[in-house]
Amino acid sequence: MKGVLYLAWRYLLWHRWKTAILVLAVTLVVYLPLGLQLVVQQTATDMTARADRSPLLLGSRGSPLELVLNSLYFSGGQPPPLTYGGVRALEHTDLAVGVPLYVRFHSQGFPIVGTSLDYFSFRGLEIAAGRQMVRLGEVVVGARVAEELGLAPGDSLISSPESVFDLAGVYPLKMTVAGVLAPAYNQDDGAIFTDLRTTWIIQGLGHGHQDLARPEAAAAVLKKEGDRIVANASLLQYNEITPDNIDSFHFHGSSDDNPLTAILPVPRDEKSRVLLLGRYQGNPQLQLLEPRSVMDELLDTVFAVQRYVLVAMGLVGVATAAVVLLVFLLSLRARRAERDTLSRLGGARALVSGLMLAEIAIVLILSLALAALLTGATWIWGGALLQAVVMQ
Amino acid sequence: MIEVRDLRFHYTGSEFALHIDHLAVQSGEAVAMVGPSGSGKTTLLNLIAGVVLSDTGKIRVGKQQVDAMSDAARRSFRISGIGMVFQNFELLEYLPVVDNILLPLRIGAGLKVTDGARRRAAELAQYVGIGDKLQRYPAQLSQGERQRVAVSRALLLQPPLVLADEPTGNLDPSNKGLVLELLLDYVRTSGATLVTVTHDRELLSSFQRVLDFRDINQWRETAL
Repeated sequence: MKGVLYLAWRYLLWHRWKTAILVLAVTLVVYLPLGLQLVVQQTATDMTARADRSPLLLGSRGSPLELVLNSLYFSGGQPPPLTYGGVRALEHTDLAVGVPLYVRFHSQGFPIVGTSLDYFSFRGLEIAAGRQMVRLGEVVVGARVAEELGLAPGDSLISSPESVFDLAGVYPLKMTVAGVLAPAYNQDDGAIFTDLRTTWIIQGLGHGHQDLARPEAAAAVLKKEGDRIVANASLLQYNEITPDNIDSFHFHGSSDDNPLTAILPVPRDEKSRVLLLGRYQGNPQLQLLEPRSVMDELLDTVFAVQRYVLVAMGLVGVATAAVVLLVFLLSLRARRAERDTLSRLGGARALVSGLMLAEIAIVLILSLALAALLTGATWIWGGALLQAVVMQ
Repeated sequence: MIEVRDLRFHYTGSEFALHIDHLAVQSGEAVAMVGPSGSGKTTLLNLIAGVVLSDTGKIRVGKQQVDAMSDAARRSFRISGIGMVFQNFELLEYLPVVDNILLPLRIGAGLKVTDGARRRAAELAQYVGIGDKLQRYPAQLSQGERQRVAVSRALLLQPPLVLADEPTGNLDPSNKGLVLELLLDYVRTSGATLVTVTHDRELLSSFQRVLDFRDINQWRETAL
């Protein structure tokens, strides 16, 4: 037995490319359906878990899926905005507290989430290092952001410009990391949280600049009409909020008109939740969603696709098994001389068939081991990968 | 050592038939078999080795009656009792030299590769002049070197009988002499019996006896 295994191993080593192709083919046939099943299952669990923890979501009318993906998973396209006044209107119903969300800007590939401190308690997020954000221009970063960008409290990061060529567009804002969140093992780990007003400053709805009343800004003054001073383009605008210039930051117009992506209503109780759903039903501008229902619809589509893919993989598997069998049968014919030699030397009648069975067994064992490794890797990283794909 | 009596053999569907009333080869004898192609020389070697079975008659090798043994016993007997050398070497391309020499131990029931066997394989390789090529593969060797590997494989278990089917048929003149001398030297030093099929009449003077298969039904013995 040991001798046969050794000869089989030597044969496979000698024909290493043929063996590698066989092992790869069998590995894929075993792994792909398993891996797909695993990834879809994991993704479904993760996605529905977050949707379950977000009972309601309020946004402007448009694609419900886009709204849920953007506001809960910080990815996908931009839903049409609603205004901050929506939070006041919601809280005016006395049925829920509204947690505002503005997810539009990015920094080094990570989403900047403008929100209020209520978001942290709503999601159960805890500070692992540093402190909570307390003033304009400060951020709290998720655990993965901190790890990947090497950030710690006191470091800074800069928001990404939306368009390099738009002179009147969104300019980068340098922000200070006040704290790092403990890992939550969900989308919050990959987000940069800041105060809502900071995101409005990034957008240019609020700004800080030189005090025109001071002598060093005299060159920037175009004209004075009583209390109203008109400045020219040489006026120094701040792209970082510091203790020295924070007082110069101000917003023009009412904050009620400033944009949000969505509001997370936290109903006081089940009755309030149902009443809220009724209150917003038929609203021509706004939609109040139950994220779980939206995600279930998405996952129904994913599962339907998965079923088709599994059937296709099954057919590919049968074809591959047939090809592998053919390879071994052809090999059996091609090895007639070897079989005769072994027999004439005194090898047992079943030696060559035993040799081929051992070769098949080794190929299968290698394939299953490789498939197990890939499945393990999928278990660890696959869910996040598919989530990223689905979210796009 | 070898005794054949009243042997009758034919291949199914073929006109070929082999009739041998009596043939005896003594222990320690080196015998050559010559004759035209198709005269039955290789068939007789296969009958003696138990690779094929006769229709009638008896073949005795040592104390064993080959045609009375079971298939498994014949195979086991062949591995440990008979060293076989072929014209086309019949090495396994995927095994290095050392494993080709050790092959009988890997395919024989109840046999295993021991440190002693490895040493014996290395000594044999050294003896036949390929001691530095143990890890090479057959494709990396010359024809002469391949046949020397095959000779080493045949001699690994120190068989009392060596059957060689045109062992020099594919070799150049210098290797012919070398391979034949290796086989004859083994016979001289171990007292084993050698039966060789050959077409090479220049080599016949090295043998004690020549069996000439001029006609498939009538072979003539020539003592040298």
